[in-house]
Amino acid sequence: MTHYLLVILVHLSFAPVLNSAGEDTVYFTDSGQAEFTSSVPLHTFTGESSHLTGMFDPEENVIDFFLDLNTLRTGIDRRDRDMFRTLVVDEFPFAEFTGTLASPFDLNSSEEQTVSVTGEFTVHGVTREKTVEGTLQNQGGSLKLRAEWILDITDYDIEPPGLLFYRVRDEIEMLIEAELHPTSRDEL
Amino acid sequence: MKSNSLYYYGLALMIIAAAMLPDAAEAQLQRERVELDEPMEDIFWATTNIGTSTVRNLSAGSLNSSILHTFGLVRGGINKFYGLDDGANTRLGLEYGFTDRFSLGIGRMTFNKVVDIRSKYNILRQTPSDSTPLELAVKLSTGISTFSGMEFSDRLNYFASVMVARKFDALSLQLSPMLSHFNTVGAGEQNQLFGLGLAAAYELNDRFALSAEYLPVLSERNPGTHDAMSVALNIDTGGHVFQVFFTSSQWHNEPYIMARNSHRLWDGDFRFGFNIHRAFGLR
Repeated sequence: MTHYLLVILVHLSFAPVLNSAGEDTVYFTDSGQAEFTSSVPLHTFTGESSHLTGMFDPEENVIDFFLDLNTLRTGIDRRDRDMFRTLVVDEFPFAEFTGTLASPFDLNSSEEQTVSVTGEFTVHGVTREKTVEGTLQNQGGSLKLRAEWILDITDYDIEPPGLLFYRVRDEIEMLIEAELHPTSRDEL
Repeated sequence: MKSNSLYYYGLALMIIAAAMLPDAAEAQLQRERVELDEPMEDIFWATTNIGTSTVRNLSAGSLNSSILHTFGLVRGGINKFYGLDDGANTRLGLEYGFTDRFSLGIGRMTFNKVVDIRSKYNILRQTPSDSTPLELAVKLSTGISTFSGMEFSDRLNYFASVMVARKFDALSLQLSPMLSHFNTVGAGEQNQLFGLGLAAAYELNDRFALSAEYLPVLSERNPGTHDAMSVALNIDTGGHVFQVFFTSSQWHNEPYIMARNSHRLWDGDFRFGFNIHRAFGLR
C-alpha cells in the first residue's frame, strides 16, 4: 500500500512540470535598446546598442538579459575602441543580468506596472548583487520593458579612462528598453 | 517482487522529472556574440592624413574640429629656431557629418587668406568580411581667396578628387587622383593641375601610427614647384588625434600643395608641422 502511495505522490509532485513541458512560454527579445550616458568635463556622450537580448519567464520567475558590448556605439569610432579596451571586451564580451522579479506583476493587466528586479549583474568579469526598478507593461500580448539605473564602474573594477585632458566620471547612467514577445522556450 | 517493480517505477519517474526541472544554467539564455559586418571606421585616424584628405568620413551627427600648422624650413637652423620663427601657416577647420557617408566642412588658411568649403561622400565602405573590399570616397571643394582688391571670380579655385583606399590589417593605403582649377594664375602657371595622391598609414598599436603621403603632379606643373612629400607620427589620445610631421609643403589643402609647393623633402627641405583633430558627438 505504501508503494502505491509513493507512486501517487511522485506523480502529483511533478505533475506541474510534466504538464507544462510543452507549453513553456517565455517573453523574449534580441533587439532591445541599451544606452549609457557618460560624461567628461564639459561634455557628455551616449553609447547605444540595439542588440540587447533577454527573456522573462513568468512561470519560473526568471529574468535574464545580456548585451554583446562590441555592439555599443558612441558615434566616434576612436572613442568606441577606447571603451572596448577599458571594458576588456575581448576577454569579457558580455554585460549580463540574471535575476527574479522581486515585486508583484499582473501579466493580465495592460497597465504600466512598476517592478523591482533583483539578481546578479556582471560586467568586466565582476559580478555584483543588483536591484533595479523599472516598468513592465503588457501591450497586446507582448511585454514592454524599461529600466534606468546608475552604474558605478569602479564597483566592477573598471578603471575610468583618463585621457590626457580629461577623465571619465565613475558613474554612468544606464537605460534599457525592450519589447519582449511571447516565445516558446523550445525555440530559444 | 511486485513491491520492487513499484519502487523502480517510482524511482524512474523521479529521475525523469528531476531531469526536466529547470536549473540555473538552463534558465539562462545562451550567450552568443553578435556577428557584425559594419564598415571599417579606422582606415585612417583622421579626415586629413597630413596635408591631403583621407577616405575617413565623420559619423552622422559628429563635428570635427581641426587645427593644422606648418612652420618654416628646419634648415633655417637655430637662428630661426629650426623654422618655428618663420611665419606659420595655420588652417582652422570644422566639418560636420550629416550622415555616416556625407560631410560638409569649412576652413580658413593663413596663406593667401583662403577660405575653403569642402564636401565628402563615401560611395563604398570597406567591410571586415570583404563583402566590400574597398573604401571609395569623392571630395569636392571650392576655395576663395579673401585678399582685398580682387574680382570675386578671380578669387576662386575648384577641386575634385576620388579617393580609393583599403586597410590590410595594420596597413592602410590610399590612391587619390585629383584635379584642381584656379580661375586666376600668375605668368607661366597652369590653371589646371592633375595629381595623384598616395597616402599610407601603419598602426604601431592603438595609440600610435606612422603615416606618409606623396603628391606628384602628373600634368604640366607650375614653374619652380616640386612634388610634395610628408611623413608623420599619429598619436591618438582617446579624445584627440595629433599628427606631428615633417613635410616639404607649407600648404594645407591639395590645390595649393600641387600649385605652390617649392621644396623637396629628399633635398633636406622640410619643415615641422602638427595637426590636431577633435571630434564631438552632437546628437
